[in-house]
Amino acid sequence: MNNLWILNMGFVALLIGIGLYCLLTMKNTVKLLIGVEIIAKGVTLALVASGYARDNLLVAQSLVITVIVVDVAVIATALALIISINRHTKSLDVRKLTKLKG
Amino acid sequence: MLFLFIIVPLLLAGLLPLLGKLSKRFLPDLLASAAMLFLLVLAVVSAKPLIAGGGIIQQAFWFGAPLNIRLLLDGFSLFMLFTISLVSFAVTLYSINYMEHYGAKANYYALLLVMIAGMNGLVLSSDLFNIYIFLEMAAVASYALVAFGRGHDELEASFKYLMLSAVASAFVLLSIAIIFGVTGGVSFGTVAQGLKTLNIKYVVGICSGLFLAGFGLKAALVPFHSWLPDAHPSAPAPISAMLSAVLIKVSGVYAMTRIFLNVFGLTPALTTVLTVMGVVSIFVGALAALGQNDIKRMLAYSSISQIGYVVLGLGIGTPLGILGGLFHLFNHALFKSLLFLNAGAIEQSTGTRSLDRMGGLAKVMPLTATTSAIASLSIAGVPPLNGFWSKLLIIIALVQAKMHVLAVLAVLGSVVTLWYYLVLQRYAFFGKLNETWKGVKEAPFWMSASMVLLALLCVVTGLVFPFVIHSWLQPAADVLGQGVSVALNFIGF
Amino acid sequence: MHLFLLIGLVAFSIMAVLSRDLLKSAISLAVASIFLALAFFGMNAVYAGVFELSVVAGLITVLFITAIALTRSDSEVAESKRHLIVFPLFFLALAVLDILVMRKLLGQIPAIQSAESGTFSQVLWNQRTFDLVGQVGAIFAGVLAVLALFRPDGEKAHQDNVSEGGRHE
Repeated sequence: MNNLWILNMGFVALLIGIGLYCLLTMKNTVKLLIGVEIIAKGVTLALVASGYARDNLLVAQSLVITVIVVDVAVIATALALIISINRHTKSLDVRKLTKLKG
Repeated sequence: MLFLFIIVPLLLAGLLPLLGKLSKRFLPDLLASAAMLFLLVLAVVSAKPLIAGGGIIQQAFWFGAPLNIRLLLDGFSLFMLFTISLVSFAVTLYSINYMEHYGAKANYYALLLVMIAGMNGLVLSSDLFNIYIFLEMAAVASYALVAFGRGHDELEASFKYLMLSAVASAFVLLSIAIIFGVTGGVSFGTVAQGLKTLNIKYVVGICSGLFLAGFGLKAALVPFHSWLPDAHPSAPAPISAMLSAVLIKVSGVYAMTRIFLNVFGLTPALTTVLTVMGVVSIFVGALAALGQNDIKRMLAYSSISQIGYVVLGLGIGTPLGILGGLFHLFNHALFKSLLFLNAGAIEQSTGTRSLDRMGGLAKVMPLTATTSAIASLSIAGVPPLNGFWSKLLIIIALVQAKMHVLAVLAVLGSVVTLWYYLVLQRYAFFGKLNETWKGVKEAPFWMSASMVLLALLCVVTGLVFPFVIHSWLQPAADVLGQGVSVALNFIGF
Repeated sequence: MHLFLLIGLVAFSIMAVLSRDLLKSAISLAVASIFLALAFFGMNAVYAGVFELSVVAGLITVLFITAIALTRSDSEVAESKRHLIVFPLFFLALAVLDILVMRKLLGQIPAIQSAESGTFSQVLWNQRTFDLVGQVGAIFAGVLAVLALFRPDGEKAHQDNVSEGGRHE
């Protein structure tokens, strides 16, 4: 049981790694958002795996549903932002977003 | 009763877009300000007596029917509630005039209210997962508020902020999932109990690292600060004030402190990491602020620097350090919101944020100039204003804890702060009045009123600081000083 | 079986990242979601699986495709070809590191076993009521955010040349 949890966590780490790679190297705003989504998938997997390993599946599923709902709100806001940016720059390229330098 | 802190702003946020159809300006202004005033009074008058005998867990009611929602109120959460309500009240008054030219006021207030509901919920929750969800609720509202002007700068800043903040939330949630997998629960009590019996160094280490990265990003601690200097200046002035003064503290500092001190327990390793991050933030923020020409960017970098002081104080972990950190958190909420509101007043009157093009504005905007001078002196730590006392407490705590190097660095950071605020004052308000600004007028009534309110609070807090410490800060510092036993006490509920 | 589903999930996630066509990326992401949902079913997490299928694979994919369609016209972004070399290296390093760490942890982590009772809806409504308040708030925030960003232009968009004055750096 415990080892299955660790196996799952290994895959969670892989998914988050892929997502972070996408966020750090890609140039397309929609692609960046896909990276965020992949990280979110990893985290949901972690929650369900934790619940499964500890016989806590019902709580785990309630948490997952909440996470998914919140995720929809974030994605909707982000896509609205991308569309608005697209109206200004006529592009999805983050390299055009360099007016501000952190 | 405590449930009102969440449900009142949330319900009003749901109603406002509908009411906005009836009356574009008057009703949203009135209702939002009234709601903020109500919450402020509720925090001071009704919530304060509740915790006379220590922290409580209160069940929420919905029209008389009990709900399975247990809200945690102790000195620390009440202190944060009070700070949130105070700043949001000032900010709402200011918005009455300032948000006029943005349009869509009802929508703006609704988003602001959702953000406040999220912060109140975060502060009142006694469960790791609830912290996460209210964090996200406040964050989603803040993305939209940063982008509210819909110019190129705003959208770009908001997008970057969203990306980093989403990663931060994912780290926080992953850490919660791991803890959930190990201890089988997410409430403070279960987690503290579980970690105590299990003794698992690896897992606690990984989770602390993830929380540090996640909340560090939210609090804009160096090296996770790169989004803040874009996001905070781009937002409308009242929102910059709100974000810098409260949001980064609630979703970053409060959540981090609560979890590290009351649930995990502060370890020497964590103390080292937090104090070092604090000092590095102080310097990176202060030195970057020196070179800025955009007034709001300068203030944003200054926020990074001042958050460094707060984390430094809390990270020491001694009672005096915690007290100093919390006091600085409160003071920073007052003077940084005031400074951003001043900057907004200047921007609205002159149309520029560039310090080069200002000059001599004290002659045409005396009220803004006076309040801004008070805030600047206060943030730079000039006695007897409030910023002086909180920095003094932090420095004494550092000396007591035998961290002499850090103490010297903290004093040096304060000198740099004084320097760039003098630069700001000189460029913006003193010297010869630029011909272009001859016809500039003082800020309108509500904007002035909220600036005067905050400036008065800065002065009064400095003068009667023993009272403030005794009645508001000591209960909060006591809760943090008790460490893990706070969470363990809640298991029975 | 579980292992294959997880490998499928990772494979399609990689495709979503590396694919040069955004539409293909979005669809790969949806397929990855389906694999994740199947893995959830395998772990007896039926409700989570259904939600993953309907909301993530369904609704979020629709949102993505709508956004891609709305911004399609002149939006080809040249991604560098380097990814085809850099990514496999990165992924290999990540996987090796991952396996090493997880092997070390294998059997190392004690945990508290807990047993729960009741049905799913009881748990959601009775234990996690506060989360539902948070969900409502998050949905409000999302809806209001979209309304604010797409409000009619009648009331002028805020000028953003305010700070153009002469910025250092």
